Amino acid sequence: MNPLNRLDLYKEMVRIRQYESRILQEYHADKKPAWDIGAGLIPGEMHLSAGQEPAAVGVCAHLRKGDAITAPHRPHHFALAHGVDMNAMTAEIYGRDTGLCHGKGGHMHLFDPENHFSCSGIIAQGYPVACGQALAFKRKGTDHVAVAVAGEGAANQGAFHESLNLAALWKLPVIFVIEDNDWAISVPRSHSTANASNADRAAGYGMPGVRIENNDVEAVFEAAGAAIDRARAGEGPSLLEIHTLRLFGHFEGDAQAYRGADLDTVHDRDPIPRYAGVLKELGELSDEQIASIAAEATTEVDAAITFATSSPSPTADDALLHVFA
Amino acid sequence: MTTEVLFPMMSKEEPDAEGVVGTWFVNDGETVAAGQVIAEVQVDKVSQDVEAPVAGVMYQLVAEGVGVRQGEPVARIG
Amino acid sequence: MTSTDTATRRITAAKAMAEGIALEMRRDPDVFVMGEDVGAYGGIFGSTTDLFAEFGADRVIDTPISETGFIGAGIGAAVEGLRPVVELMFIDFYGVCMDQITNHMAKIHYESGGNVTVPMVLMAATGGGYSDGAQHSQCLWGTFAHLPGIKVVVPSNPYDAKGLMISAIQDDNPVLYLFHKGAQGLVWMEKNPRSIGHVPEESFTVPIGKAAVAREGTDVTIVTLALSVQHSLDAAEQVADDGISVEVVDLRSLVPLDTETVLASVAKTGRVLVVDEDYRSFGLTGEIAAVIAEHDPTMLKKPFRRLAVPDVPIPYARVLERGILPTRDKIAACVTDLMA
Repeated sequence: MNPLNRLDLYKEMVRIRQYESRILQEYHADKKPAWDIGAGLIPGEMHLSAGQEPAAVGVCAHLRKGDAITAPHRPHHFALAHGVDMNAMTAEIYGRDTGLCHGKGGHMHLFDPENHFSCSGIIAQGYPVACGQALAFKRKGTDHVAVAVAGEGAANQGAFHESLNLAALWKLPVIFVIEDNDWAISVPRSHSTANASNADRAAGYGMPGVRIENNDVEAVFEAAGAAIDRARAGEGPSLLEIHTLRLFGHFEGDAQAYRGADLDTVHDRDPIPRYAGVLKELGELSDEQIASIAAEATTEVDAAITFATSSPSPTADDALLHVFA
Repeated sequence: MTTEVLFPMMSKEEPDAEGVVGTWFVNDGETVAAGQVIAEVQVDKVSQDVEAPVAGVMYQLVAEGVGVRQGEPVARIG
Repeated sequence: MTSTDTATRRITAAKAMAEGIALEMRRDPDVFVMGEDVGAYGGIFGSTTDLFAEFGADRVIDTPISETGFIGAGIGAAVEGLRPVVELMFIDFYGVCMDQITNHMAKIHYESGGNVTVPMVLMAATGGGYSDGAQHSQCLWGTFAHLPGIKVVVPSNPYDAKGLMISAIQDDNPVLYLFHKGAQGLVWMEKNPRSIGHVPEESFTVPIGKAAVAREGTDVTIVTLALSVQHSLDAAEQVADDGISVEVVDLRSLVPLDTETVLASVAKTGRVLVVDEDYRSFGLTGEIAAVIAEHDPTMLKKPFRRLAVPDVPIPYARVLERGILPTRDKIAACVTDLMA
């Protein structure tokens, strides 16, 4: 377990939020006055992770180079927290040739083999893949771990259940992370899941499970540290369910009519200003620092946007490349 | 006697927000019945149907996809 | 000037298919809907618009993300006499539930020697063109048409969207109803005007297994389906300026396949172009070529021609995706080439 560094946790959350906020802005900027999902410099679907920073930051604080992450359709926070290059990631989101995947993948299919990071748009399907990566680490005799990230809706998909059993049976060094942001598009957890907590399901599959409330980055940090230590020590998998917050819609363009009164208080539950308050109370964060951290994040994100927008696009014929090695 | 059909006030938070007629269901100069859905309009990502308040011959005042403010007339029925 | 009365109002294909479901739900209490976000949300691509408001949570059921579970549940309900309309949100998600579809829904009637029926509709969104990437832009009707036991229908316009849905629900067989996202007439996606059309308010059926000649012509036959029908009609108008007369055959159903209509058209024109947004190899285009070759290859004045998505996953970036889709301009170029 790495030692707790509150400032680092805060900085990383701010960095991610600045990124998501800027992508939100850029994504919508050229979809006016008619909102057309296929239009603009960033076309297609966009699933932003604003509000879910504590999950990514608390977990990734314990990861090292060589550890793997499989993320879902909402991947940006884990990608950034795990060290994926912001420029290359942004260029991919903009569909440029300098992107991680030369524009082939887009925002739901970010692949960074150097950081052992990948994501997929099919719900829960990153879980078995993470098991495989963990299997490889175990067979190679390293103490690397794999982290599988999915939402609470994904916990009702077959692949989730198969993966938990497999990991427990084979004692794989994998940490299953469930980000419970209350909503699977328009369906609340109460309408999709019989259990109150997936930590209960973990027990059913033969592994420790913990549910963290309040979107609390330090609680995530503690629990993730313990789980990752277990895995590195060869003691097998764990499940972490993190009750987090989806600040924006499921996807950009989601009017969220179904969310009702929940939307009224969503910004009151923003974890970042809350954590800033906690750190200020502790005397570990000043207003000047808040400002300089925000400025630093803005500078980095601005540079990434500039890099992306000034990068060349692929050419139409490039579509035929890379089917086979 | 002509009746103007106004772009609905869909965004109360942003009354000045521009929207568009996303789809005209009735062509320029066609007859409509009262209550007939004449268009689907959109502000940002929220869309809704617009109904003809009265029967008559309808004329489009704005083309699909062109920015128009909420509250502005989009059609005339007379 | 045309006059519009309420019996022939224009609606989107999305609204039309939902209306088809509504009419059947009013007529038959055994019809119900299951799927992800089909309730208050109205379906991600508008397939269940207004159903929740009329029929409530008891008959329009939001499911967990458990495709094997709820598709299997649909099968079970159907064998016990109910008539479920189940939505698989994107056909691309078939990977997580393929067994229920192909080994159960498709095979139970046959395996039971005809004793058990599965009167179920499985509807799913297909198609690309708006940068949704490799896992959310596929058509895949070729894959499903290939597997025995499932009827496959693919409407191209609002009238057929409603009529085929009503036929599908009334059919005692499992019907896969694939609707192209780009042909739904959604305001938030670039749309062809043909996605909006006159649809009668009353119930009506469009026969499953019967193609339609969407445009008559004498020089070239285009055989196609879904959004590509709209693009082909546009291309036909374009090349008409060059004096080329194109006949567009809208297949509407892949299983059963209306070979008679296809062959009659090819016999008339002698030149055929199959336009298919599904992958090129081992699919619909090859099937049509085989049908023609088996019947009478000498009908063709020019070699068989196909325009499909090449055998690559659908790329994300707009320039890449446009590069592989069968666009109107590519269709027109193929037709012009056939006449050269």
